[in-house]
Amino acid sequence: MLALAPLLFAPYTMTLLTEALILGLFAMSLDLMIGYTRLISFGHAAAYGFGAYACGWLLLHTALPMLVAIPVAALLAGMLAIGVAWVCTQATGVSFSMLTLAFAQLLYAVAYKWTSITGGSDGLAGIPRRPGPFGLRLFGTRDGFYYLVVIVLLAAFVFCRALVRSPFGAVLRGIRENEPKTLALGYNTRVYKIAVVALSYALGAFAGALYAPFAGFANTELLFWLLSGQVVIMVIVGGAGTLVGPILGAAFFLTVEHQLSNYTEAWALFFGLMFIAFVIFAPEGIWGLVTARRAREYADGTPRTR
Amino acid sequence: MALLELDELTRRFGGLVAVDHVTMRVEEGEVRAVIGPNGAGKSTLFNLITGVLKPTEGRVRFAGESVTGLSVPRICQRGIARTFQLTALFPEMSARDNARLAAQARDTGRWHFQGGAATLARAGAHADRALERLGLGAIAGRPAGLLSHGDQRLLEVAMALAQEPRLLLLDEPTQGLSVEETEQAVATLAGLLADGQMTVLLVEHDMEVVFRLAHQITVLHRGAVIADGPPQAIKDNADVQSAYLGGIF
Repeated sequence: MLALAPLLFAPYTMTLLTEALILGLFAMSLDLMIGYTRLISFGHAAAYGFGAYACGWLLLHTALPMLVAIPVAALLAGMLAIGVAWVCTQATGVSFSMLTLAFAQLLYAVAYKWTSITGGSDGLAGIPRRPGPFGLRLFGTRDGFYYLVVIVLLAAFVFCRALVRSPFGAVLRGIRENEPKTLALGYNTRVYKIAVVALSYALGAFAGALYAPFAGFANTELLFWLLSGQVVIMVIVGGAGTLVGPILGAAFFLTVEHQLSNYTEAWALFFGLMFIAFVIFAPEGIWGLVTARRAREYADGTPRTR
Repeated sequence: MALLELDELTRRFGGLVAVDHVTMRVEEGEVRAVIGPNGAGKSTLFNLITGVLKPTEGRVRFAGESVTGLSVPRICQRGIARTFQLTALFPEMSARDNARLAAQARDTGRWHFQGGAATLARAGAHADRALERLGLGAIAGRPAGLLSHGDQRLLEVAMALAQEPRLLLLDEPTQGLSVEETEQAVATLAGLLADGQMTVLLVEHDMEVVFRLAHQITVLHRGAVIADGPPQAIKDNADVQSAYLGGIF
């Protein structure tokens, strides 16, 4: 279905869909932390913004083609995130969340002040979709870029699903449900947490790195705490701990934003009300509603606890 | 050879000496109970052995090597498994997944990015065996949080067994159980220990349970060892009578 979209939809819709999938990748990356490990990051915009700036800078100031610049930006973010995670995982619970927020705000301030690299309040503009390697132009067009995003999202989804189903993922779930017990079973939980934060940030930066050549610019809004809050909402509205849900949550968020903002400036108010409704009436999110019938009972007939 | 040796182990909290120069040996294949009134330092002793707390003085040796000051997961990887006084499980995971996560730690205890399916299958087989040994095979698919309290206590023991430890620490395994549940749990544990292969250190309040399971008993009072010996000697010991058992026998 996703493959045929360019034949069916108007150019404007295609642009919107591409952005939704980029945000979907961003939200899915956060789900590794929120849904599978119960590490609530309020600073995930740091990953997105860093990815966008790094990719934008590489495309503006080096000769690297887009297909190289994007993964390089993600890789840089992942390595940086190891340091960030090392600090943030000193704390747990709300303190962890506040530390992630603090790092994001720090990065925001740096982007604002370090004008020579980041363009300050103007940001980076005119970011090209440089073709290559080998003169490959395929992904430079609007529809071509859409396919690039689809391929990346699918690959990332397959990767994440394998990860959460692996023995590593089992340990993450253990940390989610009872960290002291996981520690007592002989797992060095801090190392697992640092690993999942680094992976999550790297994938989030991958989304941001796609956004830079998609939009053609990177600005400080991509590092702002508002985006960090919005992506948490996407994950929860879509269904935390499901991988698919956050992608739907991101698409839902973007659709609502575009539809409502036609009618009212205060669209965020109405989205806020929807968010509250979801938390109260459908805590398992959109994907939880979709799969409700088969999820209500375990295989042997005992009811679910949530 | 003594599997576990505590040498002048001491832990102070401010002015309080919770564990006071405790010296104790647990031989391979022995079931030793640590008893004492509330606040005698039993739980602190467990936390010192497992690395949750660092000792103020003294050392812990396990299988001939010092484990004093090592982290919780390191000590666990050496082969010491424990259960908790307050049941500690993964409530939304099935009983089997609980035991499987415990067994997986034993497999390498570290990283599993590749070879995932094989690791999970191996751990799953171990988990199933451990659950069977405790009679939990029939409820393996249920979420741990929905099991009866008695089954939850046994599941915790199954998880410890799935780790295939050299030393098993049981912190009040019958805590909070009804009379029938206690009876059943003790019968299960006695069956488990009957072959004399397991080395166990047991904290328990129920004296009947202690005298049925333990070969050796250490009595703690205000953090210090006041008696040490086989069950009959402990029953007859005058100090123990006045400190703790007074009037029971």
